[in-house]
Amino acid sequence: MQKKSFSKFLAENIGFFFVIPWLIGFILFKVYPFASSLYYSFTNYDLFTGITKTGMMNYQKIFTDEDIIRAFQVTFKYAIFDVPMKLAFALFIAYILNFKLKGVNFFRTAYYIPSILGGSIAIAILWRAVFNTDGLINTVVTLFGGEKINWMASPNGALFVIILLRVWQFGSAMVIFLAALKGVSQDLYEAASIDGAGKWTQFFKITVPIITPVIFYNLITQLCQAFQEFNAPYLVTKGGPNGATTLISMLIYNNAFLRHKMGMASAQAWVLFVIVMTFTAVAFISQKKWVYYSDEDGR
Amino acid sequence: MKKSMKKAVALTMAAVTAASLTACGGGDKAAAPAETKAADAAAPAGDAAASDEKVELTFSWWGGDARHEATEKAIAAFMAKYPNISVTPEYGAWSGWEEKQSLNILGGNAADVMQINWNWIEAYSGNGANFANLEDYADVLDLTQFPESARELCKADGKLMAVPVAMTGRVFYWNKTTFDEVGCALPTDTDSLLAAGAAFKAFNEDYYPLALGEYDRMIFMVYYLESKYNKPWVENGEIQYTAEEIQEGMDFLCKLEAEHVIPTIATINGDMADSLDKNAKWIDGKYAGIYEWDSSASKFEKAVEESTNKPGQEFVIGDFIQFGENKGGFTKISMGLAVSATSAHPKEAAMLINFLLNDPEGIEICSTERGIPCSAAALKVLDEKGLGNALVKEANAKVTSYAPFALDTKFEHNDLKANPDGVYYKVFGKLSAGDIDSAKAAQDLIDGVNECMGN
Repeated sequence: MQKKSFSKFLAENIGFFFVIPWLIGFILFKVYPFASSLYYSFTNYDLFTGITKTGMMNYQKIFTDEDIIRAFQVTFKYAIFDVPMKLAFALFIAYILNFKLKGVNFFRTAYYIPSILGGSIAIAILWRAVFNTDGLINTVVTLFGGEKINWMASPNGALFVIILLRVWQFGSAMVIFLAALKGVSQDLYEAASIDGAGKWTQFFKITVPIITPVIFYNLITQLCQAFQEFNAPYLVTKGGPNGATTLISMLIYNNAFLRHKMGMASAQAWVLFVIVMTFTAVAFISQKKWVYYSDEDGR
Repeated sequence: MKKSMKKAVALTMAAVTAASLTACGGGDKAAAPAETKAADAAAPAGDAAASDEKVELTFSWWGGDARHEATEKAIAAFMAKYPNISVTPEYGAWSGWEEKQSLNILGGNAADVMQINWNWIEAYSGNGANFANLEDYADVLDLTQFPESARELCKADGKLMAVPVAMTGRVFYWNKTTFDEVGCALPTDTDSLLAAGAAFKAFNEDYYPLALGEYDRMIFMVYYLESKYNKPWVENGEIQYTAEEIQEGMDFLCKLEAEHVIPTIATINGDMADSLDKNAKWIDGKYAGIYEWDSSASKFEKAVEESTNKPGQEFVIGDFIQFGENKGGFTKISMGLAVSATSAHPKEAAMLINFLLNDPEGIEICSTERGIPCSAAALKVLDEKGLGNALVKEANAKVTSYAPFALDTKFEHNDLKANPDGVYYKVFGKLSAGDIDSAKAAQDLIDGVNECMGN
C-alpha cells in the first residue's frame, strides 16, 4: 500500500525531481548571491578585511559622489542612444534582407558576423584603428580636405565611438526581426497594395504593428544589455576621456576586483538593478498602448 | 553562518561575477602546463632536496614573451638539478593579472611561488598572514645576498614576505633621431625643456618632445616637487607638501602643455593606444621623449628601432632634468618573489627562489628579464659574464645612484592608480581637459591621497 502511494507520488511529481539539479544550482548560484549581495550592499565588506561597519554609507556615497553620479548618467545616456539606434538599424537591415535578393544568404551571414565577434580584443584593435587620430576615418576625411577629428577629445565623441561599436553588432536583433518579418502574412501586403498603399505605408501600417511583440522583446533584451555594457568602454576607450565613457559596470568591476570593496560594488550593482527594473517595468506597462498580440484578446 | 562558509560563498560570487563581467574576453593568460618532469637523476648530496619525496610546486608570474621563455628555461634547469621537484608554471600578461591573483591569495589557491608587485605586500599579505616568512627558510634561501634596506621594505608585521627581485626608478629617455631632425638639444633643465617644446611646435604641430599619461604626470610632478623642495612626497603616512606647493606642480604641468612640451591627455587618448610603447606616434618618432621605469627601456627602444615607417631610430638615456637645486625622483622595489602561506612545500619553494635569484645557473638564464637584480650574487654573475641588456643596466645604474627618495607603500594603491576611477587619473585628466583649475586639482589630489591613507 505504502509502495503504491510512493509510486503514485513519484509519478505525480516526477517533473519536480527532474528540475531539482537546476533548482539547487539556481538557489546556490543565483538566489543566494542575489540576496547576500543585498546584505553586503549595506556593509563595508572588503574581501581582505571583512565587514567592520554596516549602514547606508555605500548608498549615501553613490547618491552624493559626483563621479559615481556621472557614471550613472553616462550609462543612462549610453543606453538611451544605443538601444533605439541598434533596434532601428537592425530592423532596417532585416527589412531589406527580407526581400528576395540575389545572394541574400551571404548578406545575412555577413551582417551577423560582427555579433559573433562580440567585445573581443580583436574588435577593440579594429575600432582603435578606425577611430584614432591617424586612423581610417581621419585618413578618408583628410583625403577630402577635411580636418582630423579627435574622437577622444570630447565626451560625446568618445561615447559615440562605443555606441557605434554596439550598434554595429546588430546581428542578433536583426535575425530575430527577420524571423518576425517572415511571419507577416503576404495577404496583408497584397490587400494593402490593391487599396493603393505604398511601401512606406505598408511598412508602418502593417509590418511594424504586427511585429511589435518582437520589437518589444528586442527592446527589453537590448535595454538590459546596454545598461550592463562593459567590454566596449573597457577595451576601446578605457572609460576616458575624463570619465566620459566610464559606465557604471566599470566602477563595479574596479570596486569588486581591483579594490575588493564588495560592499560598494554590491550597492552600485543594486542601484543599477533597480534602474534596469524600472525601465523594464515602464516598458511592460507601456506595451498595452503599443504592442499588438494576435491572441484571443487582440491586445 | 560560519565565517569560512561566508567567505567561500563570497568568493564564488566574485568568481561568477568576474566571469560574467569579463564576458568573452578570453583572458590574456596563457597558462602553460609545460611541466617537464626531470629525469631520475640523483639529487646533490647534503642538499635540502636530497630526500626522494616527490614534490610538486606551482610558480606564477606575469610578463612578456621574453620573460616567459627565460623563466621556463630556468624552471627546467631547476628540475634537472632537483629531480624530485616538479614545477608547473602559470603565467600571463599583466592585464587582469592582479585581480586574478588577489582572489587566488584570498581563496587559498595561490601558487607556491608567486611573483608579486611590491605594493601587494601592503595590499594582500594580510599583515604577514598570506605569505610565508622567508626568514624561516634562510637555510635554503641565501638572504644575505639582498641588501638589508631592500629586505626591510618587503616586511609585514616583522616577517619577510618576499625577497626583492630588482630595484627600479624612472628615467628620461629620448628619441635622438627626432631631436636631431628638429634641430634641438636634449633637455637638461627647465629652459631647454621649454625650448624643445617651441622647436618641436615650429617643426610640426604633431610632434612633442615629451609624452606623459595621467600616472606618468603624477610621478613627473613628484619628481619636479622633490627637485624643488628636497622632501619626499609622503612620509609617515603624511603628504609632505602644502596645497600651494602641489598647485605649483600642477601649474608647471599646465605650462608644459601650453608650451607644446607635452601633448594634452585628450591628444594621447585620441591615439587610442594601449600604452605609449604601442602608440604609433612614439613608434614613428612624433613623441620624442618619455619618463619611464628603467626596466621598461628595452620595449620602448625596440618599438622605435623596429618602426616600419621610420626604422633604426636612435633611443638614448637622458640626463635627469634639473628643475631646482636638488635631486628628485624615487626608487622602488619593482617586484618580489614570495611563497604562499598555503604552500605545502614552502622549503622547496624557497629553494626555487634561491635558484632563480642566487644560483649562477638560474641567474644566467633569467639574466635581466626581471630588471637589474638586487641579489649581489646575481650582479656578480651578470658582470663577470657580460650578461643583460646594456641599456637597462645603464638606466638602472643612473637612477639608483641619482634618485634620493623611496616610494611610499600607498603610492601605487588601486584607489589612486586605477584607471579610470583612480585619483591620479581623475585629477590629471580633469586638469588637462580644463575641467578644474590647478588649485582644485591640488586639493583633490591631497583629499584623495589622504583618504587612501586613512587620514
